[in-house]
Amino acid sequence: MTEDQPIKVVPHPKSVSILLSQHTGVICKPLVNKRDRVTAGQMIGKAEAYISAPVHSPVTGTVKDIALQPHAVLGREMAVVIDTDAAADTPILPASEQFTAGFDSSSFSTEQICTAVRNAGIVGMGGAGFPTPVKIEPNPKMPKEILLVNACECEPFITCDYRVMIEWTHQVMAGIKLAQKASECRRVVIGIEDNKTRAAEALRQAIGNDSDIQVAILKTKYPQGGERQLIRSLLGRTVPTGGIPPMIGVCVLNVQTCAAIAEAVVLQRPLTHRVVTITGRAIAKPGNYYVPVGMAVGDLVQHCGGLTDPAARVILGGPMMGMAIADLSTPITKTGGALTFLTRKEVTEAKYQQRQTACIRCGRCLEVCPEHLNPTRIAHSVKAARLDIAQDYFLTACIECGCCSYVCPAKIELSGYIKTGKILLARQKKKIPS
Amino acid sequence: MLSKITVSHAPHIAKSYSTQSIMLDVILALCPAMLAGMWFFRHYAVVLLVACIGSCMLTEWACNWIRRKSNTLDDFSAIVTGILLAMSLPPALPFWAGIIGSVFAIAVGKMVFGGLGCNVFNPAMIGRAFLTASFGTLMTTWTVPAPLDAQMPALRPDSTVAVTQATPLAWSKEAIKGKAEPSVVVAQRGDAFIGRVGGCLGETSALAMLIGGVYLLIRGTISWHIPVSVLLAATICAAIGWLINPDRFVSPEVHILAGGMLMGVFFIATDPVTAPLTGKGMLIFGMGVGALTMLIRMVGEYPEGVMYAVLIMNAFTPLIDRFCKRIPAGGKGNG
Repeated sequence: MTEDQPIKVVPHPKSVSILLSQHTGVICKPLVNKRDRVTAGQMIGKAEAYISAPVHSPVTGTVKDIALQPHAVLGREMAVVIDTDAAADTPILPASEQFTAGFDSSSFSTEQICTAVRNAGIVGMGGAGFPTPVKIEPNPKMPKEILLVNACECEPFITCDYRVMIEWTHQVMAGIKLAQKASECRRVVIGIEDNKTRAAEALRQAIGNDSDIQVAILKTKYPQGGERQLIRSLLGRTVPTGGIPPMIGVCVLNVQTCAAIAEAVVLQRPLTHRVVTITGRAIAKPGNYYVPVGMAVGDLVQHCGGLTDPAARVILGGPMMGMAIADLSTPITKTGGALTFLTRKEVTEAKYQQRQTACIRCGRCLEVCPEHLNPTRIAHSVKAARLDIAQDYFLTACIECGCCSYVCPAKIELSGYIKTGKILLARQKKKIPS
Repeated sequence: MLSKITVSHAPHIAKSYSTQSIMLDVILALCPAMLAGMWFFRHYAVVLLVACIGSCMLTEWACNWIRRKSNTLDDFSAIVTGILLAMSLPPALPFWAGIIGSVFAIAVGKMVFGGLGCNVFNPAMIGRAFLTASFGTLMTTWTVPAPLDAQMPALRPDSTVAVTQATPLAWSKEAIKGKAEPSVVVAQRGDAFIGRVGGCLGETSALAMLIGGVYLLIRGTISWHIPVSVLLAATICAAIGWLINPDRFVSPEVHILAGGMLMGVFFIATDPVTAPLTGKGMLIFGMGVGALTMLIRMVGEYPEGVMYAVLIMNAFTPLIDRFCKRIPAGGKGNG
């Protein structure tokens, strides 16, 4: 419903909350104090570990507070709250016009690219938020040979990557070339689904006759945008259970991550804004918006004309994997590509309002599981507090795509139980505090 | 505005079918066979169907009431059990025997295990096995279908005496014992396909079962694994016997068309609760059902073997599931 909506710039709100944990890895250390003056693009949270990413202020203003703010995944997390100085603040616009066809990455060294990407705080913008420099840095232990660009955007409703590919084609291409250079990959494959032919065409034109980069059209299928699934569809290779793509010589980057790399390396611009798809029947003006990271969902809702009356669920992300939020002051993060607003009718028609029955062992969840797991067995083991059995059935191999819950005729929250099981297991192993 | 917002785990959308709609699909698929049963056995069929469905529902309600559990009648599984049980009984069975079978099927076959989804054995087959053990003669008295019996008065409840006849499988058993010619049975295969032979209420018409089964396959309510593997194993076993000694054993197509084979293939063995979860497991399960059925029919004492074959394989389902444990796409990993 938003694929034909061009990216629109959202004016900076009165205040932003920059969460210090917007990525996989160690939380940032704040670099500013209360009442400090910050300028747009200034680093306000420092990464002190290898797997971490700094955060920057998208606006010019004053630090109002460093306090706990709602976080879609972690509940509450420390954030730097900044009041925008309306007089001094200037709008930040997309940089796509500064990139043209035939970008040449040879004037940048690998080290230069990696440092710029690290300083810009770039993380995987498809949703996982893994720090990008760790992914693209050359690693002698795991040499990479193929760079996969994930342009699948397989969740229903989400169109931000699609718009970025069409409108920022040259910027995306520049980022891909820079990432290819840094990661020392011989080959680049852009995996795109067949419902985005216009974007594929735009990319093909921009590639021209570069034989190292190819566009591969895939049949539209959820959850193809998961990196494990994408690697399997495109290369026929399988990432080992519990492993990561570089183990088989592959590096996977999202489209918007590539665009951010280009901005960081060429223009020295940190990652402070991203394109977010605002979608669903319960929002007045759905579309694709260029949003400052840290803007509260509520402010964004207001900018988009507010919720329509029967709004019943606000989802940070898409309808399959997104997190439902109850607090509209939750800030947008670097990883959040969409906000989905479902109506009461849609929610009531969805499973959890319907009557749940016992599992009838129909096996549909096994059929759809992209990782070939046994979701009903794992979920029921978790329900019975038998994490040992759940682990025996490879609990941790779950990618949380939600397909099992989607197809379950008994309306059992299989995916929910499995996610709960993973958290309980991590607590047991003392990886996260209880 | 906020008060109206709800949260839940992802995913936030779902497919529109449910346990109830799957059960309704099965009931719909059983309709051709029910109608065929009513056509061939008239009031016997109606009485038996009503008695079994009604007592199955009542038993389920009562069990839930005794256990202070919420009512589960609206998942429609009791209706399915009732229909399947009635379909697998001789048409002229007194209605009270049907009720006893239904009570046993639901109470002992399903509710003592914890209700839908927890039972180890197919409830309808448990009910039928109980009746076979309790009322041996009644359970082997086969009424001649109405179109063949001019004396069977249409819809006259006071007439209880009907002409009886041996089923094709009973004939084939006689043939194995050398007391009859297999050709007698083979000649009946056309009638068996349509249902103009003696036999259980719903089992006689192979055509009606086939229609229902194909409907379930097209709708995706059942997967192809079990039907294909049962039919394959049964055909192979029957063919072996037939090829070794055609004077004793009837040809494979008779075994497929006669008796409860098609009902077992499409409706009994495919009961998801009591069948294995994985495709590989279903194939093993189906092979077992097919082979055991033929073993009982050709070597055992009973002329029909679907019921015991399914029950025996039900007992193996947990083992098969363990044997066919799925390995993740990325291998076993390091735990």
